[in-house]
Amino acid sequence: MIDCDVHNSWSTSAVLLPYLDPYFRDFLERGELPGGRDSFPHAHRPWLHPEGYMRTDAIPGDGGAPGSDYDLLCEQLLDRYDVEYAILTGDEAVEASTLANPYLASALARASNDWTLEEWTPRDPRLKASLVVAPQDPPGAAAEIRRLGDHPDVVQVLVSSGSERPYGDPFYHPIWEAAAEVGLPVAAHLGAQGGINANPTGCGPPTFFWEGHALLCETGMGHVASLIAHGVFEKFPNLRFTLIECGVAWLGPILWRLDADYKALRKETPWLKRLPSEYAADHIRLTTQPLEQPKDDAHLRAALEAIDGERTLLFATDYPHWDFDDPELVRIPREWRERVFSENARELYGLPVRRDDRAGAAQPVV
Amino acid sequence: MPGDRIVRDLDGLSVGIFNVHGRFYALHNRCPHRGGALCRGPVTGTALPTSDFEFVYGREGEILRCAWHGWEFDIATGHSLVDPRIRAKTYPVEVADGDVYVVI
Repeated sequence: MIDCDVHNSWSTSAVLLPYLDPYFRDFLERGELPGGRDSFPHAHRPWLHPEGYMRTDAIPGDGGAPGSDYDLLCEQLLDRYDVEYAILTGDEAVEASTLANPYLASALARASNDWTLEEWTPRDPRLKASLVVAPQDPPGAAAEIRRLGDHPDVVQVLVSSGSERPYGDPFYHPIWEAAAEVGLPVAAHLGAQGGINANPTGCGPPTFFWEGHALLCETGMGHVASLIAHGVFEKFPNLRFTLIECGVAWLGPILWRLDADYKALRKETPWLKRLPSEYAADHIRLTTQPLEQPKDDAHLRAALEAIDGERTLLFATDYPHWDFDDPELVRIPREWRERVFSENARELYGLPVRRDDRAGAAQPVV
Repeated sequence: MPGDRIVRDLDGLSVGIFNVHGRFYALHNRCPHRGGALCRGPVTGTALPTSDFEFVYGREGEILRCAWHGWEFDIATGHSLVDPRIRAKTYPVEVADGDVYVVI
């Protein structure tokens, strides 16, 4: 199984200090931090999880942050579920996208990437890294992709789903251009709905955590529509874009609507050569967690078939977050499991087959 | 006159006859999308296919947009501009002694 959303985290943002140059180190050592000395500079969303958003059994023995302890990660996830690869998505780092200062945001993203590639991926060949970039700084993000994009443990570029504007906007194209140039897929992970980023939902911020969490798929809808309408996949034909944790079952109906409206108003976007649903089939991927849970399995099956889920879905647990999906319980159609649990991700990320000896020392066989 | 259009009932069949740059074309007044009044829609030009963020207006007078949902059709062929597999019904037109005949 390849888990496409695993949150490796830190207990204190001070772990980034060795990876920051003296100018930006000052922001962490002496500057204002939003949640006390150990916290990471970011603007928080305006609603709060009343229980904390972590699995409480994932707190390590040292009392640190869930996801911060490699041994516990092995015990609770990698070994327990026979994970072939875990795609690390960090935790707070993508929240740098909420900061008004794009230079600070990029510096924090760079430090976080260096920390992940120094402290995590060298420990275990099962761990692969996402390259976090600050979307409010397109030149800085593109430079970071060119700096580390060919690192053997980097498998994708990562931004937050929270953003200043939809990701098809030409403002962001230098980022997608760099990703296409180095051959990395891009992913947007749910989050960063604060600070400079636009309202998380169309009618304004939700009030309660569960209410907001269920609605955050809206940001995914906006990005899909925008990327397609702006012709990002005509401009960068090898680019693929994954939505992480943004939900799954809505995509089919949104594509039906986009196809219908495009057919009437093709003239607005004369650079498109195909229907929105055809671009989506080739370029948009979705991680499964949290997979929608209708009462009737047939309803879920129909929603997944509408987007050719066998080829477009990537399994993810979201460990160690509170809405973790257990791979043994998740309702993926049985005949799709090989593709959704492994092969779709293997193709997207270009990962060789590993022979899993559970000791972290397996050799690639291809 | 070029640009003119009439819609006539021909033996119970509603047909639009269009003069496009001096040539005549006839289409069934029924959109293949949802059965709308195709031939009552505006005759326009459109955005030509381009690459990255270019807007080029062309084909003035050659495009019929359905009165209902605005789908674009090539008056000369009946083909949808989005999907050429979708086609409005066309009829042959003959001109003799200054009169226009639609073969239905």
